[in-house]
Amino acid sequence: MPIDKEKGFDAKNNSSGATVNQGPDVWAKAAGRALYGIDLQLPGMLYGKILRSPHPHARIKAIDTAEADALPGVRAVLTASDIKKKRYGIVVQDELPLAYDRVRYIGDEVAAVAAVDEKSASRALEALNVEYEPLSAVFEPKAALAQGAVQIHDQFPGNIAWQRELERGNPDRAFKEADLVVENSFSIPSVHPTYLEPIACVASSDYPGNLTIHTALQSPDIVRDIIAGALELPFSKVRIVGPVMGGGFGGRVYGNLKLYLLSSLLSQFTGLPVKMQLSREEEFCIGRPMIAAELKIKMALRSDGTFLARESEIVTDNGAYSAQAPWVSKTLSERNDSVYRIPNIRTRACLVYTNKVPTAQYRAYGNQAANFACESLIDQAAEKLGLDPLQIRLNNCTQAGDTTVHGLKIKSCALKDCLKEAAAKIGWSNRNKNCGYGISAGIHASGSLVANKDFRGASARAVLELDGRVTLFSGEQDYGQGTYGAFTNIAAGVLELDPDLFSLNCRDSLITPYSQGALANRQTTIGGRAVQLAAADLKKLIEEAASEMAGEPVRMEKGRLKSNDGSIMELAAVAVYYHNRTSGLTLTGEGSYVPPPVEYDETSYGNISVTYSFAAHAAEVEVDRETGAFTIKRIASVHDSGRIINPLAARGQVYGGVAQGVGFSCYEGYLFDRGRVVSKTLADYRIPTALDVPHIACCFIETTDPEGPLGVKGLGEVVQVPVPGALANAVADAAGVRVTELPITAEKIYRAISKGECAR
Amino acid sequence: MSYTIASNLKQAIKILKESDGKAQVIAGATDLFLENLPSELVDVSAVPEILGITRGKDFLSIGAGVTHAEAAASSVIRSEAEALSEACRIVGSPQVRNMGTLGGNVINAAPAADAAVALVALGAKAVLTDLYGSSREAFVVDLYGGYNRSSVDSSAEILMRFLLKPAQRGEGSAFLRFAPRAALALPLVNAAARIRVEQSLIKEARIVIAPAKPAPTRLLETEKLLLGAKPGLDLWQKVKSTASSEIEVRGSMLRCSEEYRCHLVGVLARRVSQQAVVRAMEAE
Repeated sequence: MPIDKEKGFDAKNNSSGATVNQGPDVWAKAAGRALYGIDLQLPGMLYGKILRSPHPHARIKAIDTAEADALPGVRAVLTASDIKKKRYGIVVQDELPLAYDRVRYIGDEVAAVAAVDEKSASRALEALNVEYEPLSAVFEPKAALAQGAVQIHDQFPGNIAWQRELERGNPDRAFKEADLVVENSFSIPSVHPTYLEPIACVASSDYPGNLTIHTALQSPDIVRDIIAGALELPFSKVRIVGPVMGGGFGGRVYGNLKLYLLSSLLSQFTGLPVKMQLSREEEFCIGRPMIAAELKIKMALRSDGTFLARESEIVTDNGAYSAQAPWVSKTLSERNDSVYRIPNIRTRACLVYTNKVPTAQYRAYGNQAANFACESLIDQAAEKLGLDPLQIRLNNCTQAGDTTVHGLKIKSCALKDCLKEAAAKIGWSNRNKNCGYGISAGIHASGSLVANKDFRGASARAVLELDGRVTLFSGEQDYGQGTYGAFTNIAAGVLELDPDLFSLNCRDSLITPYSQGALANRQTTIGGRAVQLAAADLKKLIEEAASEMAGEPVRMEKGRLKSNDGSIMELAAVAVYYHNRTSGLTLTGEGSYVPPPVEYDETSYGNISVTYSFAAHAAEVEVDRETGAFTIKRIASVHDSGRIINPLAARGQVYGGVAQGVGFSCYEGYLFDRGRVVSKTLADYRIPTALDVPHIACCFIETTDPEGPLGVKGLGEVVQVPVPGALANAVADAAGVRVTELPITAEKIYRAISKGECAR
Repeated sequence: MSYTIASNLKQAIKILKESDGKAQVIAGATDLFLENLPSELVDVSAVPEILGITRGKDFLSIGAGVTHAEAAASSVIRSEAEALSEACRIVGSPQVRNMGTLGGNVINAAPAADAAVALVALGAKAVLTDLYGSSREAFVVDLYGGYNRSSVDSSAEILMRFLLKPAQRGEGSAFLRFAPRAALALPLVNAAARIRVEQSLIKEARIVIAPAKPAPTRLLETEKLLLGAKPGLDLWQKVKSTASSEIEVRGSMLRCSEEYRCHLVGVLARRVSQQAVVRAMEAE
């Protein structure tokens, strides 16, 4: 159903009646006028390309660059011997801009060239001669963990990139006292965020050594930190300017650091701007998908369905380099424990190096991968106990006021109502016996503070321009999720001005406040609060300047400046007054939002986020038992994301996130052949088409959160979390057998049915 | 590289002649890739001589330049060659159906091209003309020269149209496709059938499956089983097992296992035959 036809849906106003502005990017994108990274052109620009390893693991014996250097149009050929051997990384320092002595996966960067056009750059790559000595390689975590396995990084013995053992409560006692113990193993492949625009950048280094990188990033300031560190440049000399971002889905928090570093190095060597862009095939083969995971989980329950304990053994596949994989592994291994009241937990998680594409992060940070396993197992338990899958969830779900097993403090939570509403929307009490039904619940941190305990918040500036308009400055990023619209609406709400009077500057690190960027569902929650405070500060400053100008107290009400006698002053007049009086200053409101300090111990027990969003999804599917083919008929997606300030954009997030969740659950997944990515085109790495996405019934249960600005909580990530669990349970209900390996495909259902596996 | 859109047959032939074998005919260009591009291309999709759908007294003529979208929208094709209508409705995506032509689908020679599978089941013939004005006719199935390779030299011949026998009394056809996604995906298996019944007995049957061999493949054993038989549960069970066992299929990491594809061949052969029989009986 078209959303504007939905009963009671109003795209123009939110539930408090405020008018909603969609933000400056929306119309540019709709009109095809937005400029993306791929459109960038600078005068004198060169084109950079990367020579990549054809071997999954090999020693580099020699690189001969003479022939490439001599080609016409070639301006620079870089190998590891031309640059400093300084390792960098996001969590662990395990990468170099170019491989020095060893390549560790098919695609590892060996050399970079810059030439006057793409053809010349390609010819230069062909003219490079590299002598390799192939080494034995490991492709599966199990093989990499085995005694005597080849060591991928000398500094990480046993190929272990990261590991964690965690115990809360007394799981041994809980398992001993349980009436029922269920267990199963699940496997989830690597997935790519598959943003529409492959990553592109232009790096430009000038003579005094200022480096400007033009590229669209979710967290440009964090990337500036890493680039400055890796290139040993002063932080203030690195500037990132963003074109419009063609999707990110978590994959562009750090984007592709190799690409930024190599284009910067090439620009430093040539003194000219250097453009680099990934092809779609490169995106799949080297473009940092999310980790693959194997989960073995066990649950203890009382006969009435009360959850007593969960034990998980998790192995995640890191690929050749680490990026954010340790953090993703951590979220994957613990976030689902807080969806329900589970007092006893034991988790062993291990992230393992293999000779495959390095991994990174993706929307929901592995939370959705673990949801598939945890929610599947809950249905197994419910069936063994003869309990309704909805009821067992209602009986155990987390509620407002709870402190969860990992110490998360839940200040607002409508999960119970979300479950009830999702069930109602799918027709849970009146289920069609020819279909299967599944329900699942999720939590996601909104404004997570674990990335930097000291820098928890955000800041923003609001400037009254001489023409009476307001310009906002924030370092937060919009890549389609509606941040800019939300910021405009928040500031417009505070000043009670028409949203059309606002302009927004977010994409140039030279002029915007330092920011953590678009990660951890913090944009509207934390960045929005800073904008709100900046707008309030500006309002105060305007009133002060206006009072001074009028010589009597002036108040700003309903967007108008009024003195006691009722006379009205123009905003522009006040701006000009202040500008003249100070010889050039502008009225600038500053907002700094610092969330309360977080306390978590060395086991990360504690309240790690400003607040938490919740969701429950229910799915209806039909299975053709003869072939295993299935049709997802409907998904009901019910959310507690606090107050919804932009209903149209919020719905857009739900539709897109559920569609992507459908892809994650039933279509996508990397396929490898001895370390080589086989699914490397959009024809073979299948994301769902419009025809594959079911009808989505979307609903928000608005709570008022004490933390976020105007009571809002994040939505962009949590929306994908419950999809795999709901679909897995619906398929199991329809087919009578359970698929434990994503993606759920017709062939896997058919095999499970033919084997008569009744692990349901 | 040159790309010419020919406005008539004469012009297309002239370019082909002058290029001395370097130019190739193209119609729809949905499977034209930047790699290994021929140096000269002659786009014939606007050539009037290869357009249009005509119903004659005892034939149905479909221009090679007819797009999948046109074929899918044609009421004549729906009533006279329903399998082809169904195949054209499901090819690729709306964009591909709007651009891609039936002639292109056949000459592109993908092993499981939907329209080609239906055309083979319907026993369609292709009419081709060479650069000197002489024509020849060939069964569509004979235009395949190997995997993804046509036996037609598109620098020397132009596929003009397809000729089909219109549906007879007691005849029905059907097409089915099993793919991993609802659009823009190669099928794991597709199947088409043309069946004629007389007094509730099957008198003629052509069942075609792909991908199995370079060309859409007739299931001759299954057809034999159907001939003279009375449709019923027993027969359909046998159709499934015979179809599954009579041809070899391959498995691949990206699509599905050999075992599963083999199972799907049986299921689809049975379902498409059943569907064709239902339609045939309605037309009796």
